[in-house]
Amino acid sequence: MLLELTSVSKRFGGLTALRDVDLQVDENELVGIIGPNGAGKTTLFNVISGFYRPDGGAIRFDGQDISGHPAHAIARLGLCRTFQLVKPFGNLSVLQNVTIGALNRERRVERARTVAEEIIERCRLGPFRDVPGKSLPIGLRKRLEVARALATQPRLLLLDEVMSGLNPTELHEMLDLIRELHAGGLALLVIEHIMAVIMPLSQRVVVLHHGEKLAEGPPAAVAADRRVIDAYLGEEFAVAEA
Amino acid sequence: MNRLLQLSTQHSALSTRLRRHWPAIVLFGIAALAPTFVRDAYLLDTLVLILLWGALAGAWNVAGGYAGQVSLGHAAFFGLGAYAAAVTAIHWELSAWLAMPLGAALATLVGLLIGYLSNRLRGPYFALATIGLSQVLLIVASRWRELTRGGEGIPIPFRPGFENLAFATKQPWVYLAVLFAVLVYAVAVYLESSRFGYQLAGVREDENAAEALGIDSRRLKVIAIAVSAFLTSILGTVWAQYVGFVDPNYVFSFDLSIKFALMTIIGGIATGIGPFLGALLITLLEAYLRASFSGGPAGQSGIYLVIYGVALMLVVRFLPRGLVLELADRFRWRRRARRAEAQEGEQVAAGTH
Repeated sequence: MLLELTSVSKRFGGLTALRDVDLQVDENELVGIIGPNGAGKTTLFNVISGFYRPDGGAIRFDGQDISGHPAHAIARLGLCRTFQLVKPFGNLSVLQNVTIGALNRERRVERARTVAEEIIERCRLGPFRDVPGKSLPIGLRKRLEVARALATQPRLLLLDEVMSGLNPTELHEMLDLIRELHAGGLALLVIEHIMAVIMPLSQRVVVLHHGEKLAEGPPAAVAADRRVIDAYLGEEFAVAEA
Repeated sequence: MNRLLQLSTQHSALSTRLRRHWPAIVLFGIAALAPTFVRDAYLLDTLVLILLWGALAGAWNVAGGYAGQVSLGHAAFFGLGAYAAAVTAIHWELSAWLAMPLGAALATLVGLLIGYLSNRLRGPYFALATIGLSQVLLIVASRWRELTRGGEGIPIPFRPGFENLAFATKQPWVYLAVLFAVLVYAVAVYLESSRFGYQLAGVREDENAAEALGIDSRRLKVIAIAVSAFLTSILGTVWAQYVGFVDPNYVFSFDLSIKFALMTIIGGIATGIGPFLGALLITLLEAYLRASFSGGPAGQSGIYLVIYGVALMLVVRFLPRGLVLELADRFRWRRRARRAEAQEGEQVAAGTH
């Protein structure tokens, strides 16, 4: 098991953002996380990636206990996350942005730049390599966010709504990229709002509701789950069989 | 053949590097050659001050520019370096070369403390804390009379000779100032090209994003601030030896802290050459204003501060990224326009237009 959460909780004052959440991600697995706004999806990412300290429970990555470790230490172990509100280094070029990511694994700047250039091509950011992060439109910023995270050469990538706000073309490019990464052996944990996107993409879906795990299983089973329909989907969602 | 190819790529890498650094090479080159054709002591004095202020601004730039931790209390580190020279000279007749590491060690410790604060306080709160620090040191230096002779200051006993870091003529001072200026510039070049520098740029832009990419942002900030304090203190010692008098109300003053920041911001923050351009501009401006307005009615003696302020406002309004980047952009733009024109000309000549 690559990532394993056992009854993880997180409270903010009187508000319980996460309650006893269990979650597993296997090597090269693609797991989707869905749930209504405020369900605790992003909090879950913040807890896993070390930005929040869990109030209870244990998080193990690759057999190692990482609960409460600082974010940078977790990233160094090969667990990298993106931010829902993308955080490009605004005054730095796309190439510099991605190079800084690549320095997670590479000691030498020249080597890191080579890695970055490769990833920029793979993410189809080639034409924008010298453009400063702040000048990119949102679709490209999301792609930069993914490229920079990829450059850290993670074993598990946490993607926080990287597909929302994209136009149909961008959306398909992002989907292709994610599929390609998965096919390349990467494990992914993906938060997404758009059902039509996340359901066919995921091997397994976890539904969060009020900070608790409501359901978990193959997309088709989850979509047919009465509790999920009541709490979140509102109506039955037909999973198109790919 | 392979070897030849390797050599030629090495050569081209070197030449692009030289091209990137031509303003520094020109500036420091002229400064280093100046004593051979300039004899005027006033001009050489101005040159030494430009180089020292430039180096000090460059030292500030390590924390305030590259790490994005804007300090308004760098006079604290400067004063520690200056007092290290003065106190050890009057009490123990120590050479300034020995006082230098002493002051630098002390400043580095204080820098680590400030670095720790930078992880607790952000933006204006951090700047306020640094002001507080320099004010505390000002009070200590003014009150601890047995050690510092208090508010009257310390004239540094003049014992000329390289071993005491004191010279009777300006020439050696110019060479020394160039040396320190190049040292500080080299630190900036390192911060623009190394792994540490890249990661620090990430921290400056967005600490959370940097953390997510495996960067220990707190550690990097503390190191940058400590290095900045270290360099500032060393230059404080050099400055004290050059000027020969250490006055607590000057070396620990808020004005001085502002000056380091101002010269860097005007010249170009987080650039290698910017602080030196800022120092050049401000030092010349100050010298000119002081010459033109001193001797006037007493009420006008501070007029240069007013003009200072106006200059800063103009820069922030019209050259917000500092002289270096704005000039570089304009220069590049003109070159590009010229190239485009030339291309168009060729096309017209070839009849393709």
